[in-house]
Amino acid sequence: MAGTSLKRQKFLKFFLIYTVIAIALFFTLFPIYWMIKSSITPDDIMYTPRPSLFPERITFAHYKALFTETSFMRYFFNSVYVATITMVISMIISILGSYSMTRLRFRGRVFIMRSIILSYLLPVAVLFIPMYILMSKIGLNNNKNSLLIVYLTFTVPYSCYMLISYFRAIPKSLEEAALIDGCTHLQTLIRIILPIASPGIAVVATFAFTLSWNEYLYALVLTTSPSQQTVTIGISTFQFSDQYIWGLIMSSSVISSIPAVTLYLLAQRYLISGLASGGVKQ
Amino acid sequence: MKQKPNMLGYKNEKTLGRMLVLPIFLLVFVLMGYPFINTLYISLTNKRVGYEPEFIGFKNYVRLLADPTYWLVLKNTFVYMFLAVGMKLILGMILAITLNEKFPGRAIVRMLLLVPWALPGMVAAMTWKWMYNDTFGIINSLLKNIGLIEVSIPWLSSKHLTLYSVIIVNIWRGVPFFIFSLLGGLQTIDGQMYEAAKIDGANVLRRFWNITVPSIFPVISITTMLSAIWTFNDFENIYLITGGGPINSSSVIATYTYQIAFQYNEMAQAVSVAVSIMPILILMILFASKRIGKED
Repeated sequence: MAGTSLKRQKFLKFFLIYTVIAIALFFTLFPIYWMIKSSITPDDIMYTPRPSLFPERITFAHYKALFTETSFMRYFFNSVYVATITMVISMIISILGSYSMTRLRFRGRVFIMRSIILSYLLPVAVLFIPMYILMSKIGLNNNKNSLLIVYLTFTVPYSCYMLISYFRAIPKSLEEAALIDGCTHLQTLIRIILPIASPGIAVVATFAFTLSWNEYLYALVLTTSPSQQTVTIGISTFQFSDQYIWGLIMSSSVISSIPAVTLYLLAQRYLISGLASGGVKQ
Repeated sequence: MKQKPNMLGYKNEKTLGRMLVLPIFLLVFVLMGYPFINTLYISLTNKRVGYEPEFIGFKNYVRLLADPTYWLVLKNTFVYMFLAVGMKLILGMILAITLNEKFPGRAIVRMLLLVPWALPGMVAAMTWKWMYNDTFGIINSLLKNIGLIEVSIPWLSSKHLTLYSVIIVNIWRGVPFFIFSLLGGLQTIDGQMYEAAKIDGANVLRRFWNITVPSIFPVISITTMLSAIWTFNDFENIYLITGGGPINSSSVIATYTYQIAFQYNEMAQAVSVAVSIMPILILMILFASKRIGKED
């Protein structure tokens, strides 16, 4: 008797788990499915009041138009340019800074660490107007290079915050031995810490890249012409008078999601502990 | 290797330490600090795009207090934050607890549930805008197909609905953050505590309130606070889906600030809106940073 009731309980538990998971997966994945499906649906069957749930006919016309008739390539290139350079600069600044804050003793260390956390939490919505005024003053309005400077204001605090916890987890004994042998601090950073922390550094770099890639508000106010705009801004301009061209918008959405989603999925193993310490910013 | 007596050497730890954080110092205190302080000043002027500002005292704030739209927008922002964060917390908790159980396929499910968080916010917003479309949207079509409705729901054109429509999108994109934060917390709980409670006859709900919640309370509060700060300042989701309309029914502080600054060109007035919410924001930030600080 006890055996069957236990079996029943187990069955009920799995039933409950899979029901919750099925509903969650449907809500999570349906919009993504619909984005992809719309990107390969021909216009003549896209604009109907009762669109079919599954693709009846498939076309790559939207993708073709995207690359031949729009500035999408330009937007995409700008995004790659901005996100890559931002990532490299912020990793250099953050690695050196985090090393200093976790390994070197000097007055003001704790103060800097506190201000990093505060600036990490300060939202773009508060800073975007004064930042726009500042960039106009120094002649960088409508220039994608202004994004390189501005994006550091969120990638660096975020990267430092993450790197500090990675560096802290590395035992100091290795470096101490090297220091006694006559290595300089920077040599210990390059030869001892960096190799050990490299998986963590790769993950942080990934997120610095994605944060810049996905950014919207600064890009919206700081760049105005297609030659300077990034994908996030470019896509929302695919309109014909006030009609949105959904085929183009959905196909470009698919393409511009690929870099960030791929990087996230590759890094998701590390992400779980990172998120738990409040480590990822929208 | 011989020790070199230069500033990169062991002896000058202090100098080296300060040099290495100098870029961060400049970034935080000059690049962010100057605009931040400047905001406070600009809000006391009549700065418009292309004109030199003149000092006018608190006039912008007086105008703001008399502006019914401002109060509507403020109310919308709080509704947006409380509803979205509340739902994200509930759904995130349910899914985190589910994912904490062992079942076949767990790893792949965990990966798939993460995807909305990885998408650019713009992509999420445009996809939902298309799904909400009054005439060609799949949501209305689906609801009609399963017989739930007969007339299309005006998701983005009814002033009673738009705010909730954008809240749904925010929830959709934000739940993964809660799932993974809370899951990280749940995995640290000692399973023996549950076993002991089971023997004492505590049911599922009691075990949840008496063991789960207290054990991961720090994670719950930091996650909720971070999400509250981000949700309070959400911009692109609303800007792209409804533009704050119709008649400001879905407008929030961030979109209203943008509208005043870049559509009416009233920089100073816009900045005063941003400054007016600073006290609330600073409280949230201090609370969250204290929590983060504790973890270190």
